[in-house]
Amino acid sequence: MNRDSNPLVFMFSLLLALGLQVLALPDFIASFRPLLLALTLAYWAVYAPEMPALLAAWLLGLCCDVLYGAPLGQYALGLVTVAYATRRLSGTLLAFPLWQATLTLVPVWAIYIFLMFWIDGLTHHQADPLHRWLPLLSTSLLWPLIAGMLGDMRGRRSRRGILP
Amino acid sequence: MNTLSDAARKTLFPRGIGLGLKYLLFAVLSIGLMVTDHRGDARLRPIRDWTARALQPILWLTSLPQATFNLGDHFRSREALLIENQALHQKQLELEGRLLRLDALEAENARIRELLSSAASLQTRVLIAEIMQVSQEPYRQIVLNKGERDGVYKGQALVDADGIMGQVMQVNPGSSVALLVTDLDNSVPVEINRTGLQTIARGRGDGQTLSLPFLPGNADIKVGDLLVSSGLGGRFPPGYPVGKINELRHPAGESFMEGIAYPTARLNQGHQALLVWSERPALAAEPEPAVERPADASGNTAANAKAAAAAPSKRDTTAAHKLETPQKTPAPAAAPAPAKPATPAVPHR
Repeated sequence: MNRDSNPLVFMFSLLLALGLQVLALPDFIASFRPLLLALTLAYWAVYAPEMPALLAAWLLGLCCDVLYGAPLGQYALGLVTVAYATRRLSGTLLAFPLWQATLTLVPVWAIYIFLMFWIDGLTHHQADPLHRWLPLLSTSLLWPLIAGMLGDMRGRRSRRGILP
Repeated sequence: MNTLSDAARKTLFPRGIGLGLKYLLFAVLSIGLMVTDHRGDARLRPIRDWTARALQPILWLTSLPQATFNLGDHFRSREALLIENQALHQKQLELEGRLLRLDALEAENARIRELLSSAASLQTRVLIAEIMQVSQEPYRQIVLNKGERDGVYKGQALVDADGIMGQVMQVNPGSSVALLVTDLDNSVPVEINRTGLQTIARGRGDGQTLSLPFLPGNADIKVGDLLVSSGLGGRFPPGYPVGKINELRHPAGESFMEGIAYPTARLNQGHQALLVWSERPALAAEPEPAVERPADASGNTAANAKAAAAAPSKRDTTAAHKLETPQKTPAPAAAPAPAKPATPAVPHR
């Protein structure tokens, strides 16, 4: 049996991330809300290549578009890009120590945020620049935590662990 | 024996076959969707509707913490409730007294308007909507718990007890997303209550203030002036407060000045908002005109006001125009409901 891919955990974690993404928070911490959905997708793309991360990213992106009233496809494009980039980088990320992997992922989040910022500009859908860019910081810092936490949720620390 | 699991074997080809192709496919699909959606294609409507329906449980779940937080309301002391009840009673009496006067004024207004044969009405249909506790993080917008099922439409005006809050931007079956009046993309046609000067109030995108650009340098406008919606354009109902002028800027060397106003509506507080119907084209079935015609200048204000409430304000302005061009009696089929008083106006000539 396949020990590290439980589709239920996969789906549950993504839905949880989506829920937390739209959970109302007090104003002063709201702008530090990390991009949980992108983080979770990146985790699955890196550590569980057998999961359909791209498809999930696209579908969840459409959900985000509807939730935010954005043009259909905006967040879908962003999340698919994140999933693709992290999947491509997965070899590097797995080989690096965690802190280096964290640094490597910063440009990925930046690309995602810039893409969303850019499309917002194109479609005249005004977003708060502070709320748009500050998550870059929290998202980057949260990666080690997510990698550890979801790793625990799946019952093993990381894919690099020696086969039992 | 095969000791490698399926998944492990798959990773022997680290990139997976056609990953780039898959990405390309999704990206093209997304961009295509975006372009068609931005051009307002109605065929995407079902996708949006069904996604919104599927997301309803998530919205409900995310608003749960707030609901449990409000649970404390059930356990308030009796005295506090009594005091509040008393205060509300007093306020109710006070407001009723004012309303009595308002009724008289409204009747008078309707009579005078009838004399002028124009049908701008003060009455509008409203619906209370709950503001859902759903974060819209990078955007400054709010989610309401009323949607297409309740007749909410895109562009509908949203007000609270103190003024105009914004307008509905997107309608889902059971919820809707509204843009606040302070958003950079939102503009309200306003007039200065004191002088009647017509202008436009734009959001400044900082979530706090409105801007009145391009005011003439010699315009009669003062700090503290109240802005009310003028109803031009037909999207926002006329007569609701929008903001108060807080600052006037006169950039050196410019012939225009800019006014900065604070919105009167309490945008970040409260859980409820009123949806106002103003522009909605009256539905096909409209027997009122026939009923209304005999009840011409007889001062039948109640019936007239009721009928006028159904008529959108946009057409009311065209009604006023029709006065000047008298022999336009049979309204074309394109405008299904001829503005009522315009028709009675014809026999006068």
